[in-house]
Amino acid sequence: MPSDIRSFFGGKPAATPAVQEKKPEKAPAKKGRGRKVVEDSDEDEAPKVKKTAAKKAEKRAPTPEGEATTTSDYFGSKNKPKRSEPTRPKTAGKPAADSEPTVTPVKANGRASKAKGTPSKETPSSRTSSRKKATTSYAELQGEDEFPDDDLDGAEDVFTAEFKDHRKDKKEAYKEDDDEDDEPVKPQRRSNGKGAQKKLKDDDYDPDGDVDMKEENPEDDFVVPDEDEEIVEDKPATKSKAAASRKRKAQDLDEEEEEDEAPTKKTKKAASPAKPKAPAKKAKKEDAQDSAAMQDILAGVPLIRAPSPPPKTEQKGFKFGGQHGNSGPPPEAGSFEAPDGAENCLAGLSFVFTGLLQKLSRDEGQALVKRYGGKVMSAPSKNTSYVVLGADAGPKKLEVIKKNGLKVIDEEGLAHLIRVLPANGGDSAAAAKNAEKKAKEEEKIREMAAEMEKQERAIGGTGGARAGKTANVSGGKGKGKENAPDTRLWTVKYAPSAMNQICGNKTQVDKLQKWLHDFPKNQRTKFKMAGPNGSGNYRAVMIHGPPGIGKTTAAHLVAKMEGYDVVESNASDTRSKKLVESGLKGVLSTTSLLGYFAGDNKEVEAGKKKLVLIMDEVDGMSAGDRGGVGALAAVCKKSQIPMILICNDRKQPKMKPFDFVTYDLPFRRPTTDQIRARISTILFREGMKMPPNVVNALIEGSGADIRQVVNMISTAKLDQEAMDFDQGKEMSKAWEKHTILKPWDITGKILGGGMFAPSSKSTLNDKIELYFNDHEFSPLMLQENYLGTNPILSNNAPNQKMKNLKALELASKAADSISDGDLVDRMIHGSQQQWSLMPAHAVFSFVRPASFVAGSMSGHQTRFTSWLGKNSSQGKLTRMVKEIQGHMRLRTSGDRHEVRQQYVPTLWKNLVQKLQVEGKEAVPEIIDLMDSYFLTKDDWDAIMELGVGPMDMENVKIETQAKATFTRMYNAATHPLPFMKSSSVLAPKGKTTKEKPDLEEAIDESDEGEAVDDKPDEEEDMDLSKDKYVAKPKKKKAPAKAKGKGKKAAEDEDEEDEEEKPKKAKGKAAAKGETTGERTLSSLTGVIVYMNIFAPDLFFISLK
Amino acid sequence: MALLVDKHRPRSLEALSYHHTLSDRLRSLAQSGDFPHLLIYGPSGAGKKTRITATLRALYGPGVEKIKIDSRVFQTTSNRKLEFNIVSSNYHLEITPSDVGNYDRVVVQDLLKEVAQTQQVDLAAKQRFKVVVINEADHLTRDAQAALRRTMEKYSPNLRLILLANSTSNIIAPIRSRTLLVRVAAPTEEEICDVLKKVGKKEGYKENAELEKRIAKESGRNLRRALLMFEAVHAQNEQVNEKTPIPPPDWEALIAQIADDIIAEHTPARILQVRAKLYDLLTHCIPATTILKTLTFKLMPKIDDALKSEVVKWSAFYEHRIRMGSKVIFHLEAFVAKFMRVSEAHLMGMDFDDDF
Repeated sequence: MPSDIRSFFGGKPAATPAVQEKKPEKAPAKKGRGRKVVEDSDEDEAPKVKKTAAKKAEKRAPTPEGEATTTSDYFGSKNKPKRSEPTRPKTAGKPAADSEPTVTPVKANGRASKAKGTPSKETPSSRTSSRKKATTSYAELQGEDEFPDDDLDGAEDVFTAEFKDHRKDKKEAYKEDDDEDDEPVKPQRRSNGKGAQKKLKDDDYDPDGDVDMKEENPEDDFVVPDEDEEIVEDKPATKSKAAASRKRKAQDLDEEEEEDEAPTKKTKKAASPAKPKAPAKKAKKEDAQDSAAMQDILAGVPLIRAPSPPPKTEQKGFKFGGQHGNSGPPPEAGSFEAPDGAENCLAGLSFVFTGLLQKLSRDEGQALVKRYGGKVMSAPSKNTSYVVLGADAGPKKLEVIKKNGLKVIDEEGLAHLIRVLPANGGDSAAAAKNAEKKAKEEEKIREMAAEMEKQERAIGGTGGARAGKTANVSGGKGKGKENAPDTRLWTVKYAPSAMNQICGNKTQVDKLQKWLHDFPKNQRTKFKMAGPNGSGNYRAVMIHGPPGIGKTTAAHLVAKMEGYDVVESNASDTRSKKLVESGLKGVLSTTSLLGYFAGDNKEVEAGKKKLVLIMDEVDGMSAGDRGGVGALAAVCKKSQIPMILICNDRKQPKMKPFDFVTYDLPFRRPTTDQIRARISTILFREGMKMPPNVVNALIEGSGADIRQVVNMISTAKLDQEAMDFDQGKEMSKAWEKHTILKPWDITGKILGGGMFAPSSKSTLNDKIELYFNDHEFSPLMLQENYLGTNPILSNNAPNQKMKNLKALELASKAADSISDGDLVDRMIHGSQQQWSLMPAHAVFSFVRPASFVAGSMSGHQTRFTSWLGKNSSQGKLTRMVKEIQGHMRLRTSGDRHEVRQQYVPTLWKNLVQKLQVEGKEAVPEIIDLMDSYFLTKDDWDAIMELGVGPMDMENVKIETQAKATFTRMYNAATHPLPFMKSSSVLAPKGKTTKEKPDLEEAIDESDEGEAVDDKPDEEEDMDLSKDKYVAKPKKKKAPAKAKGKGKKAAEDEDEEDEEEKPKKAKGKAAAKGETTGERTLSSLTGVIVYMNIFAPDLFFISLK
Repeated sequence: MALLVDKHRPRSLEALSYHHTLSDRLRSLAQSGDFPHLLIYGPSGAGKKTRITATLRALYGPGVEKIKIDSRVFQTTSNRKLEFNIVSSNYHLEITPSDVGNYDRVVVQDLLKEVAQTQQVDLAAKQRFKVVVINEADHLTRDAQAALRRTMEKYSPNLRLILLANSTSNIIAPIRSRTLLVRVAAPTEEEICDVLKKVGKKEGYKENAELEKRIAKESGRNLRRALLMFEAVHAQNEQVNEKTPIPPPDWEALIAQIADDIIAEHTPARILQVRAKLYDLLTHCIPATTILKTLTFKLMPKIDDALKSEVVKWSAFYEHRIRMGSKVIFHLEAFVAKFMRVSEAHLMGMDFDDDF
């Protein structure tokens, strides 16, 4: 599968050699059962390995020419770096030239060159090669074996299919691959060795592990430092490597490693002369290339001594939060003068930044290195040319530095390097290698471009035999690269037309293809068999990943490759529940007409019978597409045609219905190098010149969004032929996608100290901008966290006490500023609505406080603002207080603050504490008190909840028995209620009047009407008798009362309800007798109804 | 069995035990037949509401004590529904417009007009007008107060207003000019002692003049509070003497704790701890200004004299901000930070040079 190989190689060249070398070694031992292992073991890896091997083998046989160049190249260059310095220049010039040799010769060639360069090594290398040969053939056999017979085996299946269908593509791809590989080839070998070892170890299936090691080691022996390094890597330093290799396996695409290694390798050699440890003899060969002048220059770099790593014993566990130590701004920021150096002067050198630099921040340093063509790596290895060391470097790194004897410089040393090195790295070995690599790269690009051209022409010739986008659009136009009349967008024009042109996500694309390929088979088994990678159970696939990385392209391409006709639906179509259900019905059970008919002069493509449904932008289903997601998920469960769903964010809650329904394929951003190859090709075809570091800057700036990079260069093409580093940076900045920061990030950024460091370039506007990322949360988050910093401004206090005072002063100033901010906030959100004050609010509530307290946040976790939670619970409790006050109102005169501050503590003692202390004996008393204040059970709970400090609810422990008794007794009795709710809404204007009288329906309580009226009882009676309106309402009242009662029953507790009926009866019977005590009085203008449990009786009395 | 404070509440003007001249004036106003709009103001626990109730009784007779609570729903112009409780008798209405926050204007406009446009139907009523008592008048928004002023003049034949407030400072001048201002001062400690003695006698408590005096002092001349404390002390102790501790309310205890925290350590980390406690108080409905005031008074005895004026100054400064702003915790925290800063500088013998 060419596609495979290409991005496989392109993606991570390191893997390629691994494959090749591993294969040979593995194969012989495997014969019996090894093979099985390979096939069965994890799908990710094994198949891949096999694939490539098989492919290569296959390809080699039929098409010797194409590869010849590359292979030879490959071997030649591969050998070079390690073994034979002398060969290097030769090959550098050579690659373009050699084209014919056949497979075997090539190999021989490779070996020969090896031999030539390093006679001493002959034995091991020959051994290797012989083995290699053997295995290669084996691989071939294997490949052939598998292809015909196992239909069910996923991996092979795919290959076969691909192989058959796209042999041509493969060829091309292969070529391209090799081209691309040329540059990384050198490092490959080394990494390869490691990779192989790793793999073997990881897989732990092989008896050959030892052999492998041996083989590696002899080679390494040759160059002693290597040996050292090898060992280092194997043992202490392995971690990062191991991680890397594992990752690589998993992702299949992690190119970074390779990237890093390539230069490192080279540079190491350049560096080695200066390496204190490196034995002169061994270094000699490598140094041969460095001119004396260069050596002088390099020797002139002021080295510093790295502190020895601390003893290893300390701290076992990982300390969280301790990582921010070095992220702060440099203490002497601003004192560093950026050196002015020759262009690309650091070419071929690799740098590692570690620790807190004194004069420049890490970002600036890294930018500087990149700008002059150097490579920046994250962790030191034996290949690192220089380590730029600051304070507090990690112990691990120091260890590695010591072990490898790496050259250590500070920022001055870096500046010196930049100043003295000649353009393009001068004539140092590293630079030479770099130049060579560059040349090769260019060569490759040219080839690729030619390939593309050819392809296009071919397409033009056949008049759109291929149905892909490119083909369709470019049909008929073809002729070469004159693109003048071409009106297509570059993103369309250069859209991948073959699998191998997809950048990155190889594994995922393969999985997709396999799934699609197996679909009919799975359909036959009714999706019961999961298959080797578990995709067999699914009728739908969900591809998700960030924009611009080729999800849609991959889906379309795979469909095309597998001979499916595509039905696409995207966000431009309405996809509501109904439409999904009805609209898809037509699609789900049909076949494409294209399988039976074709346009003029076109052949019928039998393969086109099959349909695949591509649902693009599934997460774009929005309010207009109500129910669409659910319906779509339902369709996914029973679809008879394969469905490919595409979305950006799989984690959204609304994507939940697709869980367990679709086979998820996460697409990741391709690495810079994966994209760069493609972009460079495009650039070449368009005749633009852009140095790799510029392309890198563009790619990094866009967040690996291929589409955007293509758009950018297409824009650039309009007015310029070339672009330099700064322009590139500028452009990617201008095109920067503005991501909205999350509140946590905002807080971390503003409080972290970086923005307020003297060296910081961020302006006030930048900081205000930060606030506007989330203007609601940022001030709150800042307020929550501003006390958790270690302010920079307090750092230079003479002693701890002064520092504390300073910190307090800063905190106080910050708090004052936040307080100011709140006043502004009031003007914005209050009645004035002065929204134009937002920037002022940003400054007062966000920027200014941060300016005081900004500093390292180590040891402090960024917390989410607690204001919101507290505010809402305050609201809740306030409602409770209002409720309590509303109930007590007939009894007390205080407002709600008085109730909370004076009554609640007293009531708490009499209600809650009493129950707690005295238990159930106190219950009657408590209920009595509650009734006298019209408090309900809910109010009792509220009073308990309102306690604070010593009365905190947490401290209240009431026996369950007492509580149960309380609840039971409370529910058993009826309780007075002060009022009823009216449900009538009063409109704001209009019919205001005359409604008042109707309010009488409010019927009210009084058990203790007596209590209130102890004294005035007689007066009252007298009053009532005088009141003319007592009698009047009787007639009228009937309906109202009934209503009131009904309402009451409904609204208030059920007990009332239950009791009412019997009472009514009783009331009627005993009506006359009961009129004595309290009478209900009502008048037209207002009502005083004392409601007690006899109320129903009274109604009936009054009715009579 | 209600609490003492409500059980022994005087019901008529004659029964009131202090501010006799004021009671007399109110009685004569009630009898004059030309009852003006009133603005009654004074600290809480001084007896404003009790006086009003007694005055109403003098105006209308005992019928005014037959009160009930209505719940009405109002609709704002933005169609938001507000539920609003009205305490009313035949003759008067009692409302607390600040219950509905910023929508108090709607309530004032609608409800008052409705009442004002309805004539007293009860021919036997002693007065032709109805009385509307507005609680927490000083918490009325400007809009609501503006809505009041015209109503007061236009509907005066049918309507009299009694505004209750803690202070007149928040009440706009036009309203102050339309009302008769009546100040109800807090009772003196002796007056409180008298009341306590009287109540104690009714309840059959053993008299203890010393304790009563202490309670009167502790209560801050708030009679309601004094009575509640009086009851709490007696409820918790069978035998009381001069030494019997008076349990402070929960929130005061917590504020005292905060004051101790602040004094004990001056670091940003401590501010964070204090913030948690302040939040606790705020969520439990203790107003920020009360917190600030209480905290300041709790801090006072613990700090050096030289600092006192400074601390009081800042306390006042931030109290003002609490009223001006919306997120009160910010200002409380700023006060705590400022206090720590000032007192730490003082401890270290450094001048507090101010910024601002």
